[in-house]
Amino acid sequence: MAQNTEILEEVGVAVAQQNAMARGTRHLGHGCRLFSVESGWESAMIKGDKGVPTCDTMLSLEAAMKDENVKVIFIPADALMTDDDIEKICARNGVLKTLFKEVKK
Amino acid sequence: MTKKKTNNTEALLKKKIKDLTASDFAQLEKPLGTASRPFPMWGPQRVEHNGRSDIETVLSFIASDSHPLMIFSERSYEEVVALAYCDMPVPSMLPIFKDGLERRADPLLRQKDIVEGRQPQNDNYNRTQMMIGDPGHGKSFLGALQGRLRSTGSVEIFDCGGKNMNDLLFEMVLDFGAGDALPKAIDKRLKAGALEDISIGLLKSLPKGVVSTDKDGNIQSIDWAALKTAGTEEVESAFNTLKKVSTVEGLDNAGGNALGMNSQYGPLIRAFIENREIVLDEYNKSREGSDNALQTVIQFLIGELRECTVDNPLKNKDNTSGPSSFTFKRDDMGAGFFVTFTGNKTEDGTTTRSLNKSVYDRLKPDTLPDPDVIDWQHRICQMMVGLPVSTLYNTFQEQADKDPEAFGEWLMWLRQTKAKVEGTPVPELQETLLSNWQNVVQASEKLAQFYDRWAGMTDAEKIITNGNADLIEEVDEEYTKKEGMSFRRIKQHLEEAIPIRARMEPVDSPVKLDMKSWDKPPQLSERVEENASLHFGSRLVEFIERMAYEKSGAVGKNRLYTKLVKAMEEYGLRDISLQEGARSQQKSVEEALNISAFADKDIHKQAAMARKIFCDFVRQMDPEIKASDDEIVTPKKFVDALKYVQQKETAATNELFVANRDPESMFAGQPLAAAIIKDAAVYALENKDIDFTIDALVHHDDLIASFALPTVGAKNLSAIWDQNIRPLTSRDTQPANDDAAPAADVPDHDEALRIAENRSKHGIATTSLQVLYEDAEGERPVSVHVVRNEQRNKTLIVSEKAPSKLLAAFREAGVIHVDRNDPLAKTKVEAALSDMTRGMPASIKDVLADAFMYRSTEDENAPKAGNVSLVDRLLDKDLEPLFPKFVVKNDKRANGPQ
Repeated sequence: MAQNTEILEEVGVAVAQQNAMARGTRHLGHGCRLFSVESGWESAMIKGDKGVPTCDTMLSLEAAMKDENVKVIFIPADALMTDDDIEKICARNGVLKTLFKEVKK
Repeated sequence: MTKKKTNNTEALLKKKIKDLTASDFAQLEKPLGTASRPFPMWGPQRVEHNGRSDIETVLSFIASDSHPLMIFSERSYEEVVALAYCDMPVPSMLPIFKDGLERRADPLLRQKDIVEGRQPQNDNYNRTQMMIGDPGHGKSFLGALQGRLRSTGSVEIFDCGGKNMNDLLFEMVLDFGAGDALPKAIDKRLKAGALEDISIGLLKSLPKGVVSTDKDGNIQSIDWAALKTAGTEEVESAFNTLKKVSTVEGLDNAGGNALGMNSQYGPLIRAFIENREIVLDEYNKSREGSDNALQTVIQFLIGELRECTVDNPLKNKDNTSGPSSFTFKRDDMGAGFFVTFTGNKTEDGTTTRSLNKSVYDRLKPDTLPDPDVIDWQHRICQMMVGLPVSTLYNTFQEQADKDPEAFGEWLMWLRQTKAKVEGTPVPELQETLLSNWQNVVQASEKLAQFYDRWAGMTDAEKIITNGNADLIEEVDEEYTKKEGMSFRRIKQHLEEAIPIRARMEPVDSPVKLDMKSWDKPPQLSERVEENASLHFGSRLVEFIERMAYEKSGAVGKNRLYTKLVKAMEEYGLRDISLQEGARSQQKSVEEALNISAFADKDIHKQAAMARKIFCDFVRQMDPEIKASDDEIVTPKKFVDALKYVQQKETAATNELFVANRDPESMFAGQPLAAAIIKDAAVYALENKDIDFTIDALVHHDDLIASFALPTVGAKNLSAIWDQNIRPLTSRDTQPANDDAAPAADVPDHDEALRIAENRSKHGIATTSLQVLYEDAEGERPVSVHVVRNEQRNKTLIVSEKAPSKLLAAFREAGVIHVDRNDPLAKTKVEAALSDMTRGMPASIKDVLADAFMYRSTEDENAPKAGNVSLVDRLLDKDLEPLFPKFVVKNDKRANGPQ
């Protein structure tokens, strides 16, 4: 049962990620990509995914960029940062990360 | 006590080079460009042409098991190759990439020689690389890429623009105390809207670029990391500001909110100590005269000095503590340390300065060449599908052409392995495009040629010499800086093409305005989901056309606009330019990149799509069926069914496969049923009566559903054509003929007849089928009219209302289905026919109408107003079939595919 829930969660995350990817990409520095994810079940799935930090300030985003164990980053809709800020942080950290930014429907 | 053995590669790059052991090398070595896995390389080579040899720059490869490129990396082998192939620099930058990898490897190879008891091959201790090029060319990307290939950690990109370069060695920093307590506290209040007005005012006075505000002046973010190391003067001023904010907010009393100022090792020394890579970006935009102290350090970095010591000029300044000096020693140099300098060309602007001769002498910068067509194409492919398909194809063309499937699988493996590093699946759009990699190569080549032409037209420096002298009045240096073509612009175009947005209809499209009840929202038809790749080409070309206009014609540069339009036509961006070319193998960019998910060659993916469509259809047709997809039909059964359909030759026998809703056989694993066309023309020819009843007819919805299924739809659309009418048009009747050639002794100059047989040179065809339909009026045979453009894989089907669950699949299949009872049916059919006959002679619609009438007859008593168009005929419910083609259940076959 627990295994089924885990599989469902994995599928849910993958679907939410694919939906966000279909909405368009912003290519940032060093191969980082920024995707918009609609608030609701899609953002909840990505936010709840294991190992995905939620970064609501530039300080926390900077820390996540430097964390070698982090591949995917979630940025909530009310985060204290603009898209340009995200681009700036990606430009000064030469590392490949995938960022999902929550947007209101 | 024995030294603890390193179990993973992560710490190895942190070791000093002189301490690396044989076992460390075994773990770190990742060869690139071996005999069986060659790596593309670009460079000058002597090329023979008709007995004469010339030096040319060519795209070739490195393929040596003895001397491959060696990357000493803490990453796994598969990650290294995936990143190296997917993120490969553009061809003209490959020699610089090679050079950079070799410089990184040299001291390690030397150490390896020593460890293995060999005479060291080289004594190169140059730990730097400098690149100069235009903005957006990918200099810092290349520097960081080489670092990323070696390490999983981030590569620091230090923006030197406007900064004092001595800060690279020692810098004054803000000390926010443990855990950055003060910035976190301010961020928290900012988010909650709880900051005092005076604090907000103070924060806005922080150094430029640190605070971003919205158009109303509200603070949106504070870049604390940038502020912390903003430069000595900026840090001093920020310190005073933050002290005040801290007091105003009452944060100065809270524990952990201590604010201080210190001098510390700068980024360059820290990178050396931590044995990691650093990119000193835009080095020649740094403050003039600020790099004096760096000169001896550069000598050390390039291997001229074994060690050098630098003093901290900030020590004891403003009573701050900090290190007094630092000594760089070659013996302390770690395996992971490397410095990349990047610089812009001096023409870039006034802030870019020419460096001292000594710096040029020492760093020996490589100037990046202007991008060539092959470079544009490479980058376009990377942005479209995540790897440079064009460069890989050009390098391995012979093998790719010989075995395109295996080549495609290899490309997909590379992309999927890179996706693991990215932490997400490959975007569906990229996956679909990669499955059709030949289309990507073809389209990207045309796009690259077009962008190269665009770049030439907007480069003020070169327009005199590159054949664009007529643009001299419209293109000046300012325009080049603002609107010149660059990789960044192409990136923007490709990004804009991904999301599906409202699009403008072609100007000649029929339009119907409902002028009633505008006080209420419109009644929308059911939303039809669309695959992102289905019209990706159209969206991309539309955006390019828009940009071409906005950047030229719209701002009064009419000559430039005319030339851009001409270039778009020349390089086949649009279908419209293919009026003649449509019959060739060359597709336009639009067509090549409009890819249906149904085009995926993987039978398992096709079956997965077909199964979903089928199960949704079955549940919609009978809401009592609540069974899951697995309960209706297993994936394997659907794969088997599609395999059977795929291998079955049906065009000659007019056999079809239709959706099977018979519960017994469907739940037993047979999603498809066999059907066959029985043609009244054949019965007439043989003087026989129809020998089946209405009950034998296939249901309308089951036939319609089959057109929405991948593999099945395509197979059926190729099996509905015949030449049975032809003998009836001849004086000497002939038996039905299944061959592609016309029946003997029958004149073949009737274009309408050829259209009715799907043999027209225009690639257009039409026919009608009869199926069973049941509604409030009862059970009766109805017509399903089909108009097909084979070359563009577009089909118009006019029949009764189709189940809504099929609509999205119709789009993927290139089918436009029109319900003849729909009030907007006429507009929809007109639009579809206009699109399908675009580029054909104007008379084609009339000939199509004649072709259509080979199998229908009009009610002679019905009133007529002028010529009756094909549209009216297609929608005429009372039109009687003259020689109907009945779709009947094929009882003679053993219940369809097993």
